Amino acid sequence: MNAYLVLTIALPLLGAFLLPILMRSSIAIALWSGPAILIYGCWTIADIWLQGSTQPISIAIGGFAPPLGINLYIDSLALLFAFAVQLLGLIFWPFTLDQDSARRQSLMLLLVAASTGLALSGDLFNLYVFYELAAVATFGLASASGSSAAYVATLRYLILSGIGSVLTLFGIALIYSKTGTLNLAHLAQLAPAQLNDELGLTAFLSILIGIGVKAELFPVNTWVPEIYATASTRLSAFLAGLLSKLALLIILRLLLLIFHQPEAAQVLLILGILGVVSGELAAWRAKELRRMLAFSSIGQLGVMFIAMALPDGAGVLAVLALAIHHLIIKSGLFMLAEDWGGAIQRLRGSAKMAPLGAALFVLFSLSLVGMPPLPGFWAKFTLITELAGQSEPLYLIGLAVFLLATVIEASYLFRVAAILYQDAPRETLDHEIPKNEGLSLVTATLFGAGLIAAAVMIAPVGDSLNTIAVQVQDIDLYISTVNPGGSQ
Amino acid sequence: MILTLLDELLLFSGVTLLVALTIGRGLAAGWMVTILYGGQLLALTKMAALGYEGGTIASSLSFEVMGQMLNWRFDALSWFFALITLGSALLSSWFSCGAWERDYIKQGGNIWLFHTAMALNVFTMLILLASGDLLSLFIGWELVSWAGFLLMALAGGVATKAAMRYITYAMAGGMAVFGGLALVYSASGSLQLEAVITAVEQISTTKLWLLVILFGGGFGIKMGLLPFHLWQAPAYAETPGPGSAFLGAISSRMGLFAILLVLVKLFGIVNIDNLKVPFTLIDARDLLAWLAVLTIILPTFTAMKQNDARHLLAWHGIGQGGYMLLGIVVADAMGGAGGLLHVFNHATYQAALFMAVTAVIYRTGTSDLNKLGGLVVRMPLSFMVLLIGIIGLAGLPPMNGFVSKWLVYRSLLNQGMPLLFLAAVIGTLGTILSVYKLIHNIFLGQLRVEHEHVAEAPWSMMIPMLILSAIIFITGLMPGIPLEWIASVLQTVGLPVPQYTLGGVESNSGSLDMIWVIGVLFAGFGIGAVIFYSAGRSKRVHQLDNYAGGHFLSADVRYQYSDNFYAGLMHLIGGWYRGSFLWLERSITSMIEFLSLGMQGLYRRANAEFYLLSTALFVIAWAVI
Repeated sequence: MNAYLVLTIALPLLGAFLLPILMRSSIAIALWSGPAILIYGCWTIADIWLQGSTQPISIAIGGFAPPLGINLYIDSLALLFAFAVQLLGLIFWPFTLDQDSARRQSLMLLLVAASTGLALSGDLFNLYVFYELAAVATFGLASASGSSAAYVATLRYLILSGIGSVLTLFGIALIYSKTGTLNLAHLAQLAPAQLNDELGLTAFLSILIGIGVKAELFPVNTWVPEIYATASTRLSAFLAGLLSKLALLIILRLLLLIFHQPEAAQVLLILGILGVVSGELAAWRAKELRRMLAFSSIGQLGVMFIAMALPDGAGVLAVLALAIHHLIIKSGLFMLAEDWGGAIQRLRGSAKMAPLGAALFVLFSLSLVGMPPLPGFWAKFTLITELAGQSEPLYLIGLAVFLLATVIEASYLFRVAAILYQDAPRETLDHEIPKNEGLSLVTATLFGAGLIAAAVMIAPVGDSLNTIAVQVQDIDLYISTVNPGGSQ
Repeated sequence: MILTLLDELLLFSGVTLLVALTIGRGLAAGWMVTILYGGQLLALTKMAALGYEGGTIASSLSFEVMGQMLNWRFDALSWFFALITLGSALLSSWFSCGAWERDYIKQGGNIWLFHTAMALNVFTMLILLASGDLLSLFIGWELVSWAGFLLMALAGGVATKAAMRYITYAMAGGMAVFGGLALVYSASGSLQLEAVITAVEQISTTKLWLLVILFGGGFGIKMGLLPFHLWQAPAYAETPGPGSAFLGAISSRMGLFAILLVLVKLFGIVNIDNLKVPFTLIDARDLLAWLAVLTIILPTFTAMKQNDARHLLAWHGIGQGGYMLLGIVVADAMGGAGGLLHVFNHATYQAALFMAVTAVIYRTGTSDLNKLGGLVVRMPLSFMVLLIGIIGLAGLPPMNGFVSKWLVYRSLLNQGMPLLFLAAVIGTLGTILSVYKLIHNIFLGQLRVEHEHVAEAPWSMMIPMLILSAIIFITGLMPGIPLEWIASVLQTVGLPVPQYTLGGVESNSGSLDMIWVIGVLFAGFGIGAVIFYSAGRSKRVHQLDNYAGGHFLSADVRYQYSDNFYAGLMHLIGGWYRGSFLWLERSITSMIEFLSLGMQGLYRRANAEFYLLSTALFVIAWAVI
């Protein structure tokens, strides 16, 4: 039964390669096969969820038991993110009819397959493969808009991502040379004895910086503003909302399972603080909504890195809450930005033309700056109570920076809100005012509804996140579930 | 589930908000909402036992989220502030109904948004006042901040700019409180009030200092405490008339409420007194007292320079907040009572003053003090209201402001703080001078030609103003009425309670009985009236049927000067206005601007790979070494 889960990776992968061929014979089939695959994926995962089994499981691929064979590790966290991938893939599906869309659709399927793989993989090698696959898909998608600015941005992203991959591979190679295995569970067993030294730390830092390119880690995130400002908003939403979180998830897993060195946490903390400072400050002067959102996303990811740096997994709950919250908010905001491109000053009078869009913008902004009782507040609350409990002064600096950054964030987000609600300049005609409508507005409304639902049911949502966080922290459970080496 | 009295009140308030949201565009919406505020006030009076006897009434609403208990309850402190909130909401909303509302719509205002924002403000304030632990306090605090933003921003244009400035300040305050909250939580492991009280006893001095700064600063921003006062005057002044009456009356007092709850009740004034500023003779409490005194003096003298009546009043609102804090920080029986009584008194006269000014704007279309004058013959009742209001504001008998300021002065003298006393008196001097400017430039002197046919304000606006005037006088005559509530409040927050009578207070170091004071005052007025009326009939002439300096007056000759008012005084003290705080604010903004530019430059650079490789090299080198 649970083995069907493999299909959530395999089917999109298959679809991605078959779609261009199908397109030649029948456009109708090609058009519907993508969404159908994703709906099936959602259903499969939801089905497992509904069965109520909270115990993690490990699926060995091809009948070889780990650590020799490769395996998928499925716990609540992996399921949650795999579900998010399939669902967001569906939501951000490029529903267009032209010939060009075939390429875009197959790339999207490829991205979904790779992202699902990232969420579910149980060994480093597969993680690397899926990571590369996801990168390739994003290069294609980012340059698909065809403008020369998009090509330049993509090229920059390509180079950065490529070097990042090499670094990651270097880190993985170091680990393999030391331990002789790449299975995460096996590594978790061996790590306290073999990787608790400079070599292990070097390996972690290489992987961190390599994967950090996707997780918008400072200072390897310089591709972010350009790509988000030039690629299609749907892709930006997917990248900012989900892919960055998946990269974050990998780092979180590695940190919890393998690398317990305090230095690792310290680097994360410092880079996180720098990310918050640079992102939020840069966003303050941004003259374009999408660029502003990109910078704010860098800042938010920085906050998550700060949370991740908390010792002994104390920050796991905060990371999860912040990540899922940011996923919803940024996807929604990027959807609103789809029709609100260009200079922010151009948006004057938009609230009159699109009251729902403006209201959603205010709602998302309020939650992002953490106004109670919206979910963003609870996410931030879990973070700051953990930070304040640390005795290390660096954590308190992190706390102070985080609070100050929130003030700046509120200031720039509400400057936009104020512009939206201003009266349009007198000589402007109605149709000149950008208004959001159609699919993007519906999508944003969907995210807004999700946000409000989470605010209302904050107690059960908080409890289930807590359960997931506890399960993620349980290393012994991870090892015994995968049971590397069979009846060892 | 049985609803407690508090549940009823909150439910009532929620329904008011809902009504404003759904039928806010209808014609009778204003009246409907006003009646509902009346209903809330009635629900509050059902809880009057809190104000007279103390105790608490809990709400049956409580949550547990992520291991935190959230609960809400009312005690004497909440009840007292809720009374002022609902009273000013009722009267401001009443004021806004009918004539003002029609005029507002005609000028393109969105009346639905206005009523909704007012109802939202009241609702969130009640939630804040009902907070039963620090987490619900913070939730209420943020809700009130954002609701206030909505009310301040809705007029658009200048108002939105002021509101943006406000929200940046308010966020900074909110985040300071949030940080303080996290520190308290790490020290006590809980945010329930009892747990915090026990934890404070064990907390280290450095940490307590940090907490006092974070909470004092955070809550102080809402009060407009120096140096965080710049946002307040423009934000309140630019709100549509009745809104500024409401905000001026109560909004910034929410900061005082939170200070009373956290700094006085939870931390204890004694603990704060023990915090010494290193290398000086003063402690945290003196620091607060001096901040309060500076908050009295500087904004009051800034008010004197304003040429817009609304801005003048709003600047005074900041200054008067200083008296309240000063009284509470002195923390003896007289000071505490004086500070709290001033909260009540200030709400009454400030609302009346804003309403009177709004009535003038309604009739003349301007609040520019250089474009008005002589309106006393056209709007005599509004003049009366403004006169009563400014007597209250200046703290002169027979109005209520006198009593509260007297109590604060008395406590400063009793506690041997002559310098603070002197400073407070200088503040009062500035108040008297500037309120004279207000009444002179609007109502006295020469009536302008364009105001020849101005009529008295309509009754829908007049009645709330008269009610407020009556309250100002009655509580000035019989301060015992509010003092009875204040005694319960003082007991609740753990401050000493004065001996009060209907006419004032009794104490060994000096008693006050307003009934006697006012009796003597009115006897004096009586003698004056006898002399005036025994002198025979006077003849009334038109203002232009007159002469001055040997010349006949005509409409084009101005014989009342309002421009450059107090030129002589400004010649003396003008050099003291440096705008230092404005300079400070601007320099912080430009610093952020500069840093922001730098950060954008960082991201705009093309050689991203260079960052990556150098970072990788750096961290790996760091790891290996």
